[in-house]
Amino acid sequence: MLESTLRLVRYRGLLATLVQRELKARYRGSVLGFLWSLVTPLVLLAVYTFVFSFIFRPRVTGAQPYALFLMSGLFPWIWVATSLQEGTVSLSASAGMIRKAVFPVEVLPIVSVFANLVHLVLALPVLAAGMLAGRLLGFPVSGWPALAFPAVVFLEVLLLGGMVLGLSVLNVHFKDVKDIVANVLALLFYLTPVIYTLEGVAFPEAGWARLLGAAVTGFVRWCNPFTPFTEATQELLFRGVWPAGGSWLHMALWALGSWLLGTWLFDRLKDSLGEAV
Amino acid sequence: MSAVIAVAGLSKLYRRMAPGYHLRTLKSALLDGSLTAGLRPEETIQALDGISFDVERGEAFGVIGSNGSGKSTLLKILAGIVRPSDGRVEVTGRVAALIELGAGFHPEISGRENIYINGAVLGMSRARIEQRFDEIVEFSGLGDFIEEPVKNYSSGMYVRLGFSVAIHTEPEVLLVDEVLAVGDEAFSHRCLRSIEEFLSRGGTVVLVSHSLALVEEFCTRVLWLDGGRQRLLGSPRRVADAYRQAVAEEEGREHQRAKEARELEIGSGEAAAQMAEAETAESETAAAPAPEVESQTEPRRWGSRQAEIVGARLLDGHGAERYHFASGESVTFEIDVEAHEELANVVFGVGIFTPRGTECFGTNTHLEGFVSSRLAGRATVGLTCESLRLAAGEYLLDVAVHARDGNPYDYHRRLLSFTMTSPGGGVGVYSPEHSWRFDGGIEWQARPEGGGAG
Repeated sequence: MLESTLRLVRYRGLLATLVQRELKARYRGSVLGFLWSLVTPLVLLAVYTFVFSFIFRPRVTGAQPYALFLMSGLFPWIWVATSLQEGTVSLSASAGMIRKAVFPVEVLPIVSVFANLVHLVLALPVLAAGMLAGRLLGFPVSGWPALAFPAVVFLEVLLLGGMVLGLSVLNVHFKDVKDIVANVLALLFYLTPVIYTLEGVAFPEAGWARLLGAAVTGFVRWCNPFTPFTEATQELLFRGVWPAGGSWLHMALWALGSWLLGTWLFDRLKDSLGEAV
Repeated sequence: MSAVIAVAGLSKLYRRMAPGYHLRTLKSALLDGSLTAGLRPEETIQALDGISFDVERGEAFGVIGSNGSGKSTLLKILAGIVRPSDGRVEVTGRVAALIELGAGFHPEISGRENIYINGAVLGMSRARIEQRFDEIVEFSGLGDFIEEPVKNYSSGMYVRLGFSVAIHTEPEVLLVDEVLAVGDEAFSHRCLRSIEEFLSRGGTVVLVSHSLALVEEFCTRVLWLDGGRQRLLGSPRRVADAYRQAVAEEEGREHQRAKEARELEIGSGEAAAQMAEAETAESETAAAPAPEVESQTEPRRWGSRQAEIVGARLLDGHGAERYHFASGESVTFEIDVEAHEELANVVFGVGIFTPRGTECFGTNTHLEGFVSSRLAGRATVGLTCESLRLAAGEYLLDVAVHARDGNPYDYHRRLLSFTMTSPGGGVGVYSPEHSWRFDGGIEWQARPEGGGAG
């Protein structure tokens, strides 16, 4: 566990160089360049805002204006989803390099997390502009607590880093992992309070529907690691309030647990990487 | 002198890839840190078996062997990319593995940026890369191309840049795999010179190569791997010679088999037509290796068959049939002919060619003044060269029986092939008896055993 962590700290220069490579390579030769990293979130934002403001009117409370609420949860979610998907295949995609060069392999999955974090950071000005516009229109959105967002990001880097370390090394052995990840992510999007608030969800009062409702909300609240991160982000960026102490503890536990498990798994399996990829 | 690389009892098992092994290899990797610990012997491949050797500081250590003999696996284990299944491997000092040049090169971005990435992958700090950047570009000889995306590079340019970065990482141990073969001649020489410089600065090199000449020239000791086992370890000359000998013997056996197969064909009447057909079929598939190119356009056997070649063989000085010889040995070319009618003016000929079609020697009985008066029934013709001084390599034999006016009775191209080895070295087609003499202020760091006579 410690081995991977120490190597990642020692090789942070390589990590930075590879993140740069990733970003440079992605938009090399395209006219809009990095602006493309804003297109996906904005398209999704437009679609969901339209759907949930005009077609379905969600019974969510405390999420007005909806577009701004959605933005604060959706942008970080895109970071989560893309880094998990890219991170999972990061080792198998670089098989040639792993088989033939000597370097700290653990940087590869972590590169995915940071490269996609850069995209999130690049989208933050859009988010800030939206919040400012909201305030000018008289909505009590955002505020100084938003400046504490990097603390959530730090914990979330640990959470995602641990996950991609474990998933990427498993994906080398089972190519099924990346498909499982893609499908679980599709499901998790709806099991994470991104397009709704957990408080605003109301299930029918009677019978089995109530039980099912309790089970689902229980799962979202306690078993989904992304829930506390999403809620904390919404509180900081959208509501402009400081998340409760319990919320920080909750995030820290998930982050630490994920990091320890991921690095443990990686250290166990990395000796065989050179021949398994 | 201390051992920089110490290998003792090294073995490596690879798993065979088959459905159902996944879970077990994952389990064994989790529990034992090895992919193969949970597999039965028949589910694994033994890539290396009981390898032991030490490499001293400043040594150039060569590894030779045929494809699949475990050379690359050994190099990867020394590099730390692959773990040994058993045994002990210790490598002291910074290692640079020139196994694949340009690891981590991204095709879309420029050579300049890729130098930084590749340097970082190989463990150089950014400041260090900046410091040596101009040297790296200079050595690669890429010039203005350094600003182009790497995808526009030729494979030679790619390798040049990769080698240039690798050699500038200032390793203490350099592991080199066959990579030098890719660049052009001039660059190969530059690579070799820089490896020589590296050696003279006290660096240690392990060189895996197919080129025996390179290994002989370069290395202080050579390990010969054969099917994952250590076949021979010693001075380059001794090991390379033993290796050549073994390869020649193997080829000799193949020639013998091929010849036997051909002799079966010669006996039958439609053999020629069948052979011509087989020939065109072969040329259509275009799978024949380069030496066969010429024969694809020409028939291999023609003539009226009034007299027919029914057998041919090579004999050594003791009359034993052989197809590999050392340069300078006595060789007899023997031909069996059968005349289907009585013929008055017959000429027997023999020609020796390289696989590329260069005639090394050709003669016939007419040229040398024999005038025949009668050939009937079976006959055997022998041409003995008391000392056949061909250079090392493979040779092909044409044999013919024809009329004095040139009309062929039976002309057989490439009927036999044989291999020569030349203990004295040298290249070309002719290997004269030779020796070196040196007068004046010349000193040698190393000399061939026995003074270098051929």
